[in-house]
Amino acid sequence: MKTFFTLVFILLSQSSFATEQAEKIFAQLTPSLYQIKIIDKASGEKSSIGSGFQISSDGLIATNYHVISSYARHPEKYRIEYLDHQGNSDQVSLVSVDVINDLALVQRQVDTEMPYFTLSQKKPIKGEKLFALGNPHDLGMIVVPGTYNGLKKESFNERIHFTGSINSGMSGGPVVNKAEQVVGINVATSGNQIGFLVPHEKLVKLLNDYKKQPPVDIMQQISAQLMASQNKLMTALISSRWQSKELAGKAIIPIIEVPFLRCWGDSNADKKDALILLAITNCSLNENTYLSSHFFTGSVELDFRYMQAKDLTDNKFYHLYQQQFSQAGAGNRAGKDDVSEYQCHHDLVSPTSSTSTGQTINNKSIFCTRAYKDFPKLFDVLYLGASIDKKQQAILSHFTLAGVSQENALTFTNKFIKAVSWK
Amino acid sequence: MEVTKSELEQLNEVEPVNTSTPVDIDIAPTEIIIEEITRNHKLLHRHRINQDEITIGRGYQNDIILADPHICPLHLSLTFAQGVWRFNDNNSVNGTVLESNKNNKQDKAQRIVNDGDVIIIGKSQLRVVFSNRQVAETVVFSPFESLIDFIRHPIAVFISIALFMLIAANITYLNQPTEINFSHLFVSAFKMALLFALWPTGIALVSHLTKHDPRVLAQLGISFSFFILLWLSYLLEEIINFNSASHANFGLAISLLPVGLSFSLFWLNSYIGFHVSAKRRMIVSISITALLFGGSYLIQYSKKPEFNPHPQYNATIMAPKFLVAPSSNVETFLARSAALFKQASKAAQKDQEM
Repeated sequence: MKTFFTLVFILLSQSSFATEQAEKIFAQLTPSLYQIKIIDKASGEKSSIGSGFQISSDGLIATNYHVISSYARHPEKYRIEYLDHQGNSDQVSLVSVDVINDLALVQRQVDTEMPYFTLSQKKPIKGEKLFALGNPHDLGMIVVPGTYNGLKKESFNERIHFTGSINSGMSGGPVVNKAEQVVGINVATSGNQIGFLVPHEKLVKLLNDYKKQPPVDIMQQISAQLMASQNKLMTALISSRWQSKELAGKAIIPIIEVPFLRCWGDSNADKKDALILLAITNCSLNENTYLSSHFFTGSVELDFRYMQAKDLTDNKFYHLYQQQFSQAGAGNRAGKDDVSEYQCHHDLVSPTSSTSTGQTINNKSIFCTRAYKDFPKLFDVLYLGASIDKKQQAILSHFTLAGVSQENALTFTNKFIKAVSWK
Repeated sequence: MEVTKSELEQLNEVEPVNTSTPVDIDIAPTEIIIEEITRNHKLLHRHRINQDEITIGRGYQNDIILADPHICPLHLSLTFAQGVWRFNDNNSVNGTVLESNKNNKQDKAQRIVNDGDVIIIGKSQLRVVFSNRQVAETVVFSPFESLIDFIRHPIAVFISIALFMLIAANITYLNQPTEINFSHLFVSAFKMALLFALWPTGIALVSHLTKHDPRVLAQLGISFSFFILLWLSYLLEEIINFNSASHANFGLAISLLPVGLSFSLFWLNSYIGFHVSAKRRMIVSISITALLFGGSYLIQYSKKPEFNPHPQYNATIMAPKFLVAPSSNVETFLARSAALFKQASKAAQKDQEM
């Protein structure tokens, strides 16, 4: 009985302690918290909102890139404004961005030195209590307690896994520890208490780089970041081990051994009336880079299909197979203002296999690419290979890469074509 | 209203060609042929008369009796004197108009009727033809005639329709993603044959309505043979698309084949169904072909979006037995791919400048 009371007492005191702490944190930090608004110049109304927080005494405010992306892409159409806790608002200027980590720095005019958030020196430890701040759905500033759960597994760009409710509108808001130091920035949610944060080191780096040398042109800065990021990603993909794997016991396909590519499988083995047996392996990068609401890049997708005819003529098998072959689309979303139309070519290609089986394969291969309009030397690439050398069996190999250089795309294609063959 | 000789000829090929010389006009024969023709210069009746005076009108006492209510009972008479025929209007209510086929004003003033002239009385037309008029040379049978004779044979028509149905059934079979039974295939092939038979029967109907021989079997035989040929050209196009790489361009030549076949079909349809001049037949066939292909191109063009986010590529794949071309190696493929990057960059820059 005594132990029970002690336990209840401890639990109660802890929860009240947490509430108290949240209140204290909120009261102290509110002056440095802002709502960031993107105002459409023509209508004078806000077109999107997010949160931001001051990180220097002279008025530098950190937020998410995706909060201010419409301004970054179309500065002639929009302006950025802040709204502080007292209801004051004024225009701010965009000074630096990090599109890969979804961060941006904006500058407000300040007359006197102002309080600001300090960035933490060290990483939080797993299970540590954190507080996410922001302005969800334009409802006013709130504080959300949550837990640090380490870095998101299998991700190419580091993200903190935060257990706590992060809602839209809180994007760009800070996440602080008990010492009121920033350890992350709200960036995304997977619903049901799963939130993702950008680690604070990324912001520290952006801030230091900005202090050293502010970027001359935001578009050029984005272009350079995309180029560097694709180089890092493609180098990792190309230089990692490509494990040969059997698909349905008949085909050899490559599985790239990098943690951030996740593979899924499916087949129609349960469908008795299907005319063709179909087995699919699909590997994709579970993240991409946001450039604007209609333009994403940085995605990678590999798709392999093995098909076998069940009691069909060759002609019919190939006719149905062609329907699968003719449906490939882009791997990322992009519009007329962002990219050119796809340029494609096709040929019959018989690669010298790099797999251990040494079996040959004859493919009809399609290669398509489209260029980015604002970011020179970056392309979306798509490849399709359809085996045409077996009467009743086929391998369809396919990949899409978004935002890569010509050299990386061709190197990857070369490796990919040679890694697919018959068993 | 002056109707020239060439126009008359165009309108009706059966009309004998006037090759008369001025001498013929001076010495007109007493024997004369009067043709009742429609406004479109189609022949209704022909009267051969061998007398010096001919009376024309609605009354039963006339040599030529016309039922047209706009014609007077004793409307006009033609008389032969001093080697020429003259017409004389008997103060008719609606008058008489002479459409001379020559610009001979003097003849008209003197009411002289020449070979090939058309007399308009009431709403009827009469053409005067002299018996010494020379006719055009006999037209020899074209080589198509024997082909058409072969194709219009009931067995040949049956075989071509059966072949067409076989092809239609095969297409249905190929396109069906699930299991399919024989009766389903037969019904869909039959429906397809009925649908495609609308074209030849339609033409036969039109030629029947325009007072020509319908020749249904010949139209059916020719049309279905060409439908089969069109399908074969499509198959050939598929095989070429499958075997050729995008840098080898057979595209234009192979896409012109169905255009040529369609033109031939329309030309033969009109050859079988209608008696028109070669020039006219050519114009009509070209127009229909242009309308068909130009129209479908325009529809495609108008449907084309301003920006297409989907890649457009040639996805033709066929069973290995259709593969005849050798394959490239990966290096060649990649070298050609490399050229696309330049194209894409250029396209992006061009759009930016616009």
